Amino acid sequence: MASTHTVFKDESKLDINYIPQKLPHRETEQRLLLEFFSFILRCPDRMAQRVILAGDVGTGKTALAQRFGATLASEANKRGIKFRYVHVNCREFRGNLSSTLHRAVTVFEPNYPSRGYGAEETLSTLLQVLDREGATMILTLDEFDSLIEKEGSDAVYKLTRLQETRQGQPQRLSFIFIMRDLQAIEKLDESAKSTLQRSIIRLQRYGKAQLVDILNDRVKMAFELGAVAEDVVDLIAELAHAQTGNARFGIEVLWRAGKYADVQEANCVLPECVRMAVANIVPGLRRSELAGLGLHQKLFLLAVARYFKENEEAYVSLSEAELDYAVVCEEFDEKPHGHTQVWNYVQYFTSLGILRSEVATAETRGRSTRLSLPTIPAVELERELTASLQLARRA
Amino acid sequence: MELEEVFSSKPRIKILKILYTLSSLNVSDIAKRIKMNYASTAEHLELLEAEGILEERKYGRIRMYRFKEGSERAQAVAGLIQAWEEK
Repeated sequence: MASTHTVFKDESKLDINYIPQKLPHRETEQRLLLEFFSFILRCPDRMAQRVILAGDVGTGKTALAQRFGATLASEANKRGIKFRYVHVNCREFRGNLSSTLHRAVTVFEPNYPSRGYGAEETLSTLLQVLDREGATMILTLDEFDSLIEKEGSDAVYKLTRLQETRQGQPQRLSFIFIMRDLQAIEKLDESAKSTLQRSIIRLQRYGKAQLVDILNDRVKMAFELGAVAEDVVDLIAELAHAQTGNARFGIEVLWRAGKYADVQEANCVLPECVRMAVANIVPGLRRSELAGLGLHQKLFLLAVARYFKENEEAYVSLSEAELDYAVVCEEFDEKPHGHTQVWNYVQYFTSLGILRSEVATAETRGRSTRLSLPTIPAVELERELTASLQLARRA
Repeated sequence: MELEEVFSSKPRIKILKILYTLSSLNVSDIAKRIKMNYASTAEHLELLEAEGILEERKYGRIRMYRFKEGSERAQAVAGLIQAWEEK
């Protein structure tokens, strides 16, 4: 049974979905967003705007957009303006435009059918709903890179040139596109690219002192007074800074360290709790990132994790990993994806640093790709993935 | 249509209960839930719409039904279902 002793005052303030009232060191960017979208408070249906928020993992893109959306919605509400801020993570829908737009429609029509309708039809429904409600919407497409990857230029073109098909009618729909890497835009054709590149807000990585401020804010909200000493915050900030200035990583370490303190029934979070927390966060693949993976990405990774857990080998050939993946798919009643798709998964995990792939030349059988799991303990990875898949199954 | 005619149909009562619970649904979804074919379900829905209890919202090919906003009849039916279901 869990102990009643705790260093936390309100641990929900460290949850990945919690958006604080104030975002330290993002004030300028928030003001900029308000400037871009201030027309919504003055003449909501006369204009539409598209803004890109770009930055590395943990630079506060999602938090900034959501805080801005909540602030604008509250201000619009005070002025009697019908405005909705809707935030959708494209990766949750495997980059599928129709499913992403469906989520926006369900804000007004919760039981709108989710299958059998294309992106164009869903977009047209969204506009009809907004017209009927006389409302304006900012639709934020988080992890927009995955949508570009899946749908390509056509989808972007449809979204960005929307208003041209509605000449003379109220403008209802604005967009915020959130991306890690602006390189993804380069894959688009010229016309789609040019409509996207007008307003870009780049979020720079946090410095160590900035991370200290962010963590201190969360400590005040989440922990009992005196439960987290200054040097502990400093240590976590240092770690987060080394992780490319990733504030989300720092907050996750802070929460886990608090949990270790509770287990030890300590009155405060000790540096040793931080070290234990860091050792137990799956390196290179934190819970938040794991949650964002598609079902088959998780199944493939689970197969690789199981292989390395059961075999004391440093490498697995891609063909062998694919066989194991088929077994995992059977377990989860899923049809395995083909070789090309699996190859894409390998490329993706390699780019994240989770897997390493290399071409091995065998003397007799030509070239083959072999994979290794360089930094993540297979047992940890298997545990995290199994938990995540079971959670998805129950949902 | 007379009151007894409107409410003498089991599928119509089922439709009203479902829409009371789920707020709005498209025709196919309602048909599936009351285990009836699309055409008959659509007929019942059109009748309830004609009686001023339901309203249809059309989005392209999709027809969503719900209790009619501001309709006294819709309010009365919703009140009856509430009283009945929460007894």
